[in-house]
Amino acid sequence: MNHRAPSTPPCTGFDSPLGLSRRQALKSFGMGLGSIALADMLSAAEGGGRHAESGIEAPPVKAKRVIFLFQAGAPSQIDLFDHKPQLIKDHGKELPDSIRKGQRLTAMSGNQASLPLVGTPFKFAPHGDSGAWISDLLPHTAKIADDLCVVKSMFTEAINHGPGVTFMQTGSQFPGRPSIGAWLDYGLGSLNSDLPSFVVMVTKGKGGQPLVSRLWGSGFLPGKHDGVRFRADKDAVLYLNSPEGIDRANRRRVLDKIRELHQLQLEATGDPALETRIAQYEMAFNMQRSIPDVTDLSDEPESTFALYGEDARKPGTYAHHALLARRLAERDVRFIQLYHQGWDHHGNLPGGIRKQCKETDQASAALVTDLKQRGMLDDTLVIWGGEFGRTNYCQGKLTATSFGRDHHPRCFTIWMAGGGTRPGTSHGATDDYSYNVVDGGVHIHDFHATLLHLLGIDHERLTYKYQGRHFRLTDVHGHIVKPILA
Amino acid sequence: MRSPIQAILLCGFASGLAGGAEKIDFNRDIRPILSDRCFKCHGPDARNQKSDFRLDSFENATADLGGYAGVVPGDLEASELHFVIHAEDPDERMPPPQSKMSLSAGEKDLLDRWIREGAPYDTLWSLKPLPPTVPVPEATAWARTPVDAFIERGARKAGLTPNEDGASESWLRRVTFDLTGLPPTLKELDSFHVALRGPEGGERAYAAVVARLLATDAYAERLTSEWLDVARYSDSYGYQRDNERFVWPWRDWVIRAFRENLPYDDFITWQLAGDLLPNPTRDQVLATTFNRLHPQKVEGGSVPEEFRVEYVSDRLHTFGTAFLGLTLECCRCHDHKYDPVTMKEYYALSSFFANIDEAGLYSYFTRSIPSPTLLLTTAAQDKQLADADTAIAAAEQAVQAAADTAGGAFDQWLMNRARGHEWHGLLAHVTFDDRSGNGFPDRVRGEKPATSNANNKSVPGKRGEAVQLTGDDPVKLPGVGNFARWEPFTVGLWLNTPKAFERTVVARRSKAWTDAASRGYELLLEDGKPSVALVHFYPGNAIRVRATDPLPVDTWQHVAFTYDGSSTAAGLRLYVNGRPAATEVVRDHLTKTIRGGGENDLALGERFRDVGFKGGMVDDLLVFDRELTPLEVAELHDGRSLQAALEAPADRLTPELRAQLRAWFLAGHPPHAAALAKLEETRAAKAKLVDGIKEIMVMREMDEPRPSYVLERGLYSERGEPVTAGTPAALPPFPGDAPRNRLGLARWVTSGDHPLTARVTVNRYWQMFFGHGLVRTPEDFGSQGRPPSHPELLDWLARDFVDSGWNLHHLVGNIVLSSTYRQSTLTDARSREIDPENIWLARGTTGRLAAEMIRDNALAVSGLLVRKTGGAPVKPYEVAVSFKPAKPDTGEGLYRRSVYTWWKRTGPAPVMMTLNASKRDVCRVRREVTASPLQAFVLLNGPQFVEASRVAAAEFLREHADDPDALIRHAYRALTSRNAAQQQVDILRSLYDEQLSQFTEHPDRAAALLKTGQAPPAGDLPAATHAAATVLVNAIMNLDETVTKR
Repeated sequence: MNHRAPSTPPCTGFDSPLGLSRRQALKSFGMGLGSIALADMLSAAEGGGRHAESGIEAPPVKAKRVIFLFQAGAPSQIDLFDHKPQLIKDHGKELPDSIRKGQRLTAMSGNQASLPLVGTPFKFAPHGDSGAWISDLLPHTAKIADDLCVVKSMFTEAINHGPGVTFMQTGSQFPGRPSIGAWLDYGLGSLNSDLPSFVVMVTKGKGGQPLVSRLWGSGFLPGKHDGVRFRADKDAVLYLNSPEGIDRANRRRVLDKIRELHQLQLEATGDPALETRIAQYEMAFNMQRSIPDVTDLSDEPESTFALYGEDARKPGTYAHHALLARRLAERDVRFIQLYHQGWDHHGNLPGGIRKQCKETDQASAALVTDLKQRGMLDDTLVIWGGEFGRTNYCQGKLTATSFGRDHHPRCFTIWMAGGGTRPGTSHGATDDYSYNVVDGGVHIHDFHATLLHLLGIDHERLTYKYQGRHFRLTDVHGHIVKPILA
Repeated sequence: MRSPIQAILLCGFASGLAGGAEKIDFNRDIRPILSDRCFKCHGPDARNQKSDFRLDSFENATADLGGYAGVVPGDLEASELHFVIHAEDPDERMPPPQSKMSLSAGEKDLLDRWIREGAPYDTLWSLKPLPPTVPVPEATAWARTPVDAFIERGARKAGLTPNEDGASESWLRRVTFDLTGLPPTLKELDSFHVALRGPEGGERAYAAVVARLLATDAYAERLTSEWLDVARYSDSYGYQRDNERFVWPWRDWVIRAFRENLPYDDFITWQLAGDLLPNPTRDQVLATTFNRLHPQKVEGGSVPEEFRVEYVSDRLHTFGTAFLGLTLECCRCHDHKYDPVTMKEYYALSSFFANIDEAGLYSYFTRSIPSPTLLLTTAAQDKQLADADTAIAAAEQAVQAAADTAGGAFDQWLMNRARGHEWHGLLAHVTFDDRSGNGFPDRVRGEKPATSNANNKSVPGKRGEAVQLTGDDPVKLPGVGNFARWEPFTVGLWLNTPKAFERTVVARRSKAWTDAASRGYELLLEDGKPSVALVHFYPGNAIRVRATDPLPVDTWQHVAFTYDGSSTAAGLRLYVNGRPAATEVVRDHLTKTIRGGGENDLALGERFRDVGFKGGMVDDLLVFDRELTPLEVAELHDGRSLQAALEAPADRLTPELRAQLRAWFLAGHPPHAAALAKLEETRAAKAKLVDGIKEIMVMREMDEPRPSYVLERGLYSERGEPVTAGTPAALPPFPGDAPRNRLGLARWVTSGDHPLTARVTVNRYWQMFFGHGLVRTPEDFGSQGRPPSHPELLDWLARDFVDSGWNLHHLVGNIVLSSTYRQSTLTDARSREIDPENIWLARGTTGRLAAEMIRDNALAVSGLLVRKTGGAPVKPYEVAVSFKPAKPDTGEGLYRRSVYTWWKRTGPAPVMMTLNASKRDVCRVRREVTASPLQAFVLLNGPQFVEASRVAAAEFLREHADDPDALIRHAYRALTSRNAAQQQVDILRSLYDEQLSQFTEHPDRAAALLKTGQAPPAGDLPAATHAAATVLVNAIMNLDETVTKR
């Protein structure tokens, strides 16, 4: 044994992002050594197995789980949250050069001969004790104003949807990086033993800018960290249900035999991979129960549907998914990602945004209220937002009743609730035209750093070595936005 | 997957070794530490690091830092490095605590020992030239091949004894899967068994199997399947909209290349630069599609240059990963932090891949194949095209002849000519006078005025009124101008531009700019200069001529262009103020239709997402369906040139005017006009033929290399220093006699002594057989990668591979016939403890089958597999439940090998994804194999697997109707290539009996289960028995023995 293995040993001195050793991590998930294979499959802190030796404290865990209500297509900050009386006053005038500052526009409106400003036609009012300005498009959200931490100074570099959504979800505009949920699964592992730890739900039947499955992909992380999409279908996950003619008891009988055979082989080979395989099939059996248990709403009282709206009964709707998100959160699914497309209002914004708000407002607010009532809001971070903002000037023809807004990366608004964020606050500010950030800018990398911080992760330590480089969700950037922390 | 127990054990193992007494090896022991923990701030990227102190070379590390040095060889106490790595004070300690990096005690000890031993440096192992010969170590009788001698030496050094051969059927299963992706048939198992005991003896039987497998299409498909990950192959464009694209003929070329065992250096050369080979064959050009398989963008509003730059980078990154094993992407924004490649070298390398006439976006409104392309003709079409060319040449001669023989007629006409003339072929004439609401009367087609909304104002013009354009509102001529590329035509107008537009659209028959790749024709002002183009897909399939001088602003100018139907730039003429303008040819390659895109009318002043003619004025627009002669264009401008010429006395004609009159005469001279009509007919015939032929994206070098620059921070818009094509200084020099293009690059990368190419290649193939490469980071042969476990073996294999003529069959034979490959996978706890990752290969490797193999195995065993090689991609059941669902095929498309499964980037085949196939967004040379419950669902419940179980069960039942144990043994052997032990048979028998009684009791369940899949029902079998056997087969299909190579 005098020959050194020419591999990089696992004890590289890289610290577990949590400051936990793998053994500690396993212990904290209540699993003895007997279920190690299972824990391994669930990725209980893959980054672990490395000793914390620097003594750097990991940030305290505020949020155990995240529900990200992603509004794909980029909702207009100007018509929802970022109230701009000056813009309303200057409605119809050309975008002043002093505001635009020569910044690049998309090739959609960039060649337009005229860029007239458009004030919002929607009524704004201050809401709650916090006095948050919210437009009348969002009456339900307005009622939870005091639970929200509204960030009005988000910005990005992306000017088109593909790069924009990819940036928001992976920290890079180009494909290939792991998504937030995959990073969390890699860094923190699962909180539960019979559900995936990263679940994705996409509102059914929405048109608009297409989404791509790599948005919840694991990038260069091992594939097990991929998000699992729940489909509004009899199989909530791919081929979940046994074939016709095989009932649960029969499935159990078959799996018992498969286990016996695997057990035999384990004894014959001593190969620990067999333990993993046995666990894999046991978990599959459990998931065949636990997933329908989540998706079957028959145990929900009428009051639930009063809160979330009648849409919540219809599989595939945003409201249904919001309700499922709460049920998944109750079962300790770590990262729950909703996608709702259709916010890309290049034309006919007034009609389009009304419809979008009607589909999402009540359920978004209901989710926050519901979590709060159940005492779960404290350790569940809810995020609402899109990939960028929309322009203060009109795309296409400005008419008395209609207008459109193009993509705008320089500022946009998101809100967060719970999970260690400061309720009833508004962070950051844009100029009088909602064009440039003038105070407290939050870049996407900063947003990610803050999100990880709330989950007890130092964003500079959550790394994965790929192609020789230690990659991070926040690349080489990111600052924690302290003012929004509770 | 490593279990945590193993991880913990390995920790102890490695740190226990760190204090050992063996002499320090820089590359093995020190470089990984320096690279990983120090180079980020003290490495090769001198420009972008905070400290001037560099640890990347002996000279830098020992440099005088002002009375002291970072490293003083042999003197620990004088070495600052020793001090800082042991410093207690966090302000002094290196790496600093805020870097979140630290050194273990063992690593500090290694660094100290290295300093004491004189701090020797060594060139990065992978950049040392491939040695001309590599001595093979002594070995015992265990070793059959040189490979084994290296492996045995390594194993014994690690305290391990290599394993004996595993069962012969295990080898046959393994080698059959590894080489063909399919299981051995029962017949093959039996005949191998016989051959082993035959007169020819064992070794011959092994060699015969390998020879048999290498000569199959299945082998070619298997190697292709592996190469598709490297080539990021996909049947759709990718990014967000992800339209379908036509590239599978390239995949079929790869299959042919492997089937014919194309030498691997040619395999590389053809793909990189087949188009640049002398008189390339069609396959050599087709091979270059490799460089076009990156994702491509269509999203509206994207900046084309941003994505063009991205494509070039992707080509380079793929080149870097696939052939060099270098992480070149790291130097896109700064010098490499770990390896000796600078940012400037990155852009010098990338410029090799930039010289094709491509667009940054593909076309949303048309199905044009992004340029450059190759026409995929059949032999019959080649003949038809040659005939069409002959016909065109003959027609052109006939036109010339008609002109040549018209001399007498012309002279006669000249003497007796009429003094008046009429416009022939006039299709539309809009004067912009007498506007009525939103209509401008057309003098030719009274019933069809040109149209505009109210925003375009009528203003005083050149003659009467003109229209002034807003830039956002078009003036359209309904029903006018949808010319085909074989039709001659002319457009003339007066315009008045308020400024020298960098770009603006004056007139167009075209739906959109980048969103339609400018399909159609257009008159633009570019930098104030008139510019006219006919376009199939801009820029690579178009003709364009541009005036060399800008138009004066704020004055009326007459601009006209004529086109002769030849699809050449020479046939496109631009006139300014009645005289031919001095022009340059900007593009001259038009081979496909200019029609289409969804906007058939000629329009002025605006185009979708293009720059409109804001504030520009247009007057007196005429459109002709023939090529006007110069005299006529002059007449359009001044209203008198033609008339004056007609009136000029014959004896006072200047030669120029005489020639112009002759041209005008010929245009109306019946024999000449008839010859022109015939020419148009032949051109139309060829164009229609070509339009029906598919084309595929390939590489075609531009005549002049595209100017290339360092792009600061990697941004497309931040051009820095110009660069020319070149290779990094740390790698071998570019051959002096090679051209500075992709072909030269291919020569460089395939030179026999290149340190990387052969090593990277043999390593990837080693990985295909052992699950891991000798370098376990096949994508990274740099400082941050893992060094080779068996450097001499890697070199021996690489040298032997090159010397064999880059012969893959030879390489594969070296590997699969070795004792190393034949070893049993069974091992004891001690060997597992010493070598949990099986780095030393003292036992056979186990590993789960690749996604494609798991599915193909089920299809093969059931007999459903359709063995047909090549062709369009197919859609099995799973595409119906992908994120981007598609309708599955019916019939044989459901049962083809998985290499043919339709690959959509934004929603790849979900069974393949669940089983860890690569997503194929970017070049990947390694798959992570995981075990998740979702995989169990696929195998237990997926219709492909349930159906295969049903069909296989029927086959087995027919053979063993009354003997369940025989049924079980048969099924087990078919799926696992092994004989079931009695204990396994007993367990499966109890499963079968349970199922049988259950399905007998519940016939409805049996009927329901047997409905799965499109394959016809087995009417001849009792349903309960068939259902029970189906469940039995499916259970075996789910066993580790079925899905794992053991």
